[in-house]
Amino acid sequence: MDILRKALLSILVFLFCIFWLNNALSLNTVNQCLVCHESNGDKPAMLFKKDIHYKMGITCADCHGGNSKSDDMEIAMNKRAGFIGIPKGDDISGMCAKCHSNPDVMKRYHSELPTNQLEMLKTSVHGKLSITGKENLLQCITCHNAHGIVPVKDKASPVHPSNVINTCGSCHSNAKFMRAYNPALPIDQAEKYRTSVHGILHAKGDSKVAVCTSCHGSHDIRQKSDLKSKVYKTNLPSTCSVCHSNSEYMKEYKIPTNQYDKYTHSVHGIALFEKHDISAPVCNDCHGNHGATPPGLESISKVCGTCHAMNADLFSSSPHKKAFDEHKYPECETCHGNHEIITATDQLLGVDKNAVCSRCHSESQNTKGFKVAKNMRMLIDKLEKAEKRAIDLVHEAEQKGMEISEAKYKLKDAHQARLEARTMVHSFNLGKFQNVVNTGLVTTSEITSEAGLAVKDYYYRRYGLGIASLIITILVISLYKIIRRIEKKQKS
Amino acid sequence: MNKDISGKEQFPGTIPRRDFLKYIFGGSLLAWALSVLYPILAYLKPPKQPEVEVNSVKAGKASAMEKDSGTIVKFGNKPVILVHTASGEFKAFSATCTHLDCTVQYRKDMGLIWCACHNGRYDLTGRNVAGPPPKPLIEYRVLIQNDEILISKNT
Amino acid sequence: MKSYFTKFYNWIDGRVDLSDLVEFMGKKYVPVHSHSMWYYFGGVSLFLFIIQVITGILLLLYYKGGPDLAFESIQFIMSKVQFGWLIRSIHSWAANLFILSAMIHMFSVYFEKAYRRPREITWLTGMFMFFLALGFGFSGYLLPWNELAFFATKVGTDIVGVIPLIGKPIMIFLRGGEDVTGATLSRMFGFHIAVFPGIFTVLLGIHLLLVQRQGMSEPFRTIEEPGWEKKTMPFFPNFLLRDLLLWLIVLNIIAILAVFFPWELGKKADAFAPAPAGIKPEWYFLFMFQTLKYIPGKIGFFDGEVLGIMLFSFAGLAWLVIPFWDRKSQRGEKNRLINYIGIFVIIYIIILTIIGWIF
Repeated sequence: MDILRKALLSILVFLFCIFWLNNALSLNTVNQCLVCHESNGDKPAMLFKKDIHYKMGITCADCHGGNSKSDDMEIAMNKRAGFIGIPKGDDISGMCAKCHSNPDVMKRYHSELPTNQLEMLKTSVHGKLSITGKENLLQCITCHNAHGIVPVKDKASPVHPSNVINTCGSCHSNAKFMRAYNPALPIDQAEKYRTSVHGILHAKGDSKVAVCTSCHGSHDIRQKSDLKSKVYKTNLPSTCSVCHSNSEYMKEYKIPTNQYDKYTHSVHGIALFEKHDISAPVCNDCHGNHGATPPGLESISKVCGTCHAMNADLFSSSPHKKAFDEHKYPECETCHGNHEIITATDQLLGVDKNAVCSRCHSESQNTKGFKVAKNMRMLIDKLEKAEKRAIDLVHEAEQKGMEISEAKYKLKDAHQARLEARTMVHSFNLGKFQNVVNTGLVTTSEITSEAGLAVKDYYYRRYGLGIASLIITILVISLYKIIRRIEKKQKS
Repeated sequence: MNKDISGKEQFPGTIPRRDFLKYIFGGSLLAWALSVLYPILAYLKPPKQPEVEVNSVKAGKASAMEKDSGTIVKFGNKPVILVHTASGEFKAFSATCTHLDCTVQYRKDMGLIWCACHNGRYDLTGRNVAGPPPKPLIEYRVLIQNDEILISKNT
Repeated sequence: MKSYFTKFYNWIDGRVDLSDLVEFMGKKYVPVHSHSMWYYFGGVSLFLFIIQVITGILLLLYYKGGPDLAFESIQFIMSKVQFGWLIRSIHSWAANLFILSAMIHMFSVYFEKAYRRPREITWLTGMFMFFLALGFGFSGYLLPWNELAFFATKVGTDIVGVIPLIGKPIMIFLRGGEDVTGATLSRMFGFHIAVFPGIFTVLLGIHLLLVQRQGMSEPFRTIEEPGWEKKTMPFFPNFLLRDLLLWLIVLNIIAILAVFFPWELGKKADAFAPAPAGIKPEWYFLFMFQTLKYIPGKIGFFDGEVLGIMLFSFAGLAWLVIPFWDRKSQRGEKNRLINYIGIFVIIYIIILTIIGWIF
């Protein structure tokens, strides 16, 4: 019994010694966390082996705390010694930021990554509070994963361009999830994306095409109504131009790279950038955003018509619609251009050198259209001249201090008639056009005659002055004579 | 003057000539006084529009205006659109379209304010809701006093 | 007809004792000599002042002070009120002619040394009236509340503001605040129609009373020149009728100017608009304005602008008190220095005004 007890004890001591020795031996080399967690098939532990951090020598304990050198669970995961377990809430990102926001630490690992990601995330739309009210909506690991993090350039990364769509889509395509945050936000972006030129190429494995982050940014994603957002109206054209104006980058796609330049000089670009009119269309208003594709030939007038409704309606019911479709002419674009649309002047109309009608309607071949174009131009020029004369006369009368407010008020109607006439051009119907022009001509002739009368009245004042001067002259002469008379009398 | 019908000199000396001068002098003095007084009196006469009025304008009887209709009112040198909404409210906005200065109108079929030039649309709070207008219409204040509609600038 | 007039005259005479006045006027003689024509400019100034009072009152019937209505009300006067354009144009033209004629009157008195004993008070009241006339011009200029006037007033009061110590408070007093605003307009309006006319009328009363009491001054040479025969003409009716004759001509000139060159109204003032090019004060301030432009920013330890303003102030003061330091003239001796100074001042004003006008 005693022997047995002694033997057992010595075995235990021996075993303990071996165990301890073993432990002591592996102390400096083996990550004890992994030893155990791997052995019981813990998934994060398995993933961590592929993690860039693992390869850089970062241990579990660096994020989870505790002692990774001890195989004793009591020691290794002693909360008093600093074991955290699974970080919760904002502590997760905080844990990443401990190194990633510290340039000194990052330099030690020879990293060239930026160190402001968390800062940017906090100001982004995702940096706002989540529905729990305790932590931010998004933590680093939401997109980058917690274990098994690989560099962005690695195709296995969830934020590699080939995976971004799915990564973002995991929340943004989930109606139930999105409802909790922004019920009005569409959830079909990923679906639309797949129909876009970008999406189709993306599906073919092209990682150069734009993905979510190319336009929205990554850590600094802001709402589209946010002035600092890359997709805010005034910022969007330059966001698209990052790729589309880069001829080197766009080389293999064989499309022009001057759209941005053309746009900035267009009527829309000027309205946006110079007049700060944010209702002016930018790239996505015509091309779509997530489903970005050039509009089809037959749908151009519909696209332009979202704003220029009147012109589009008139065009669609005009004889041009059918003819353009047959010839595969891109509707509005045929005359107005696309990216470089400049303010349409009356010069476009007619059969002059600068006019566009004569491109198809020549005097010999397409006589009817040629005549209509010529007449329309003549009419609108007539109206413009009439309006200008009316304005000049009203100004003249006004400068002369005449009461002319009635005629001045009517100038608005003349102006309106001219604008309506310009719109009516798109009906390409001489009769309709003539009607509008005639109302304008009637108004301008009324104004001209009223203002003309006022100007005449101004000169009429001079007759009054003439009479008054005559009276004064007679008075002066007779007064002079009287003085002479009195003085003569005084002398005598 | 200084001769009678028979052509003989009525008065010897210069007395008649002086009289003639006096008549000229008196007459021209009177004419002068009139030519000075006339403009002054005309100036004193209150003009048709008795004072500078750019702050408010009368737009007729409230009861005479149909519901669900609109009309253009001249406000100084600018047109203002007065709308009697289907719900019976009176609203007034600047009638100059913010796109290219056409005059807007009320469209009963659409129930909104519409610009004929480029199909710009504004709702009944003046907000630009469709078409090219870049800005909303400026709202004016409408006051009904004893059935009289008064439109004034919103200050 | 005549008997009615006689009756009326007698009725008044019996109550007011007019005969004394008629006798006084009948005894009053105006010296006649080669420089007599200068005597008329006092009368012309008086007539222009009367026109200003009448047209000013007329304008007051429709004018509305205040930044949101001042411009519109003038526009209203010019377009809606019958002959409003005429009244306003006359007021503007007569204002300028008034200053011109007052200037001529002043210089003629200066060169004739008519300020010497016993007419020092006449000179002083005249000078004060001239300063007031400039004040009338300055305050009236802002009243239409147009762009040019707004910025000219801003610049004008700015210049006052650079005077050390007292400048800033005066500027704030003139502007009714730190900046030219509606408050400035109200002030200028008050000065223009109440304060200045009140003071002016008192000064004018004294001035005219003294002229009547002391009679017209005679220049030296008429006394000194040998063989000169003293000629005179009765003040009433000869001189007075000539005065009236000239007034009629002046009135006609103003009417012609008002019809052919109506005073422009310009654009409404906008405090936030950039100052338009070519901001100029009225022509009678132009020579001072132009001088200040030419003075370098720093002269020794002094600020150039301050120095310029001080210089003008002292020059004005010296000019004002000339009867008290021109001893030679007081003694009845010729003082060429005074003539040289006067000629220099006139040439200086004319040249600087022309330069300021052109550039």
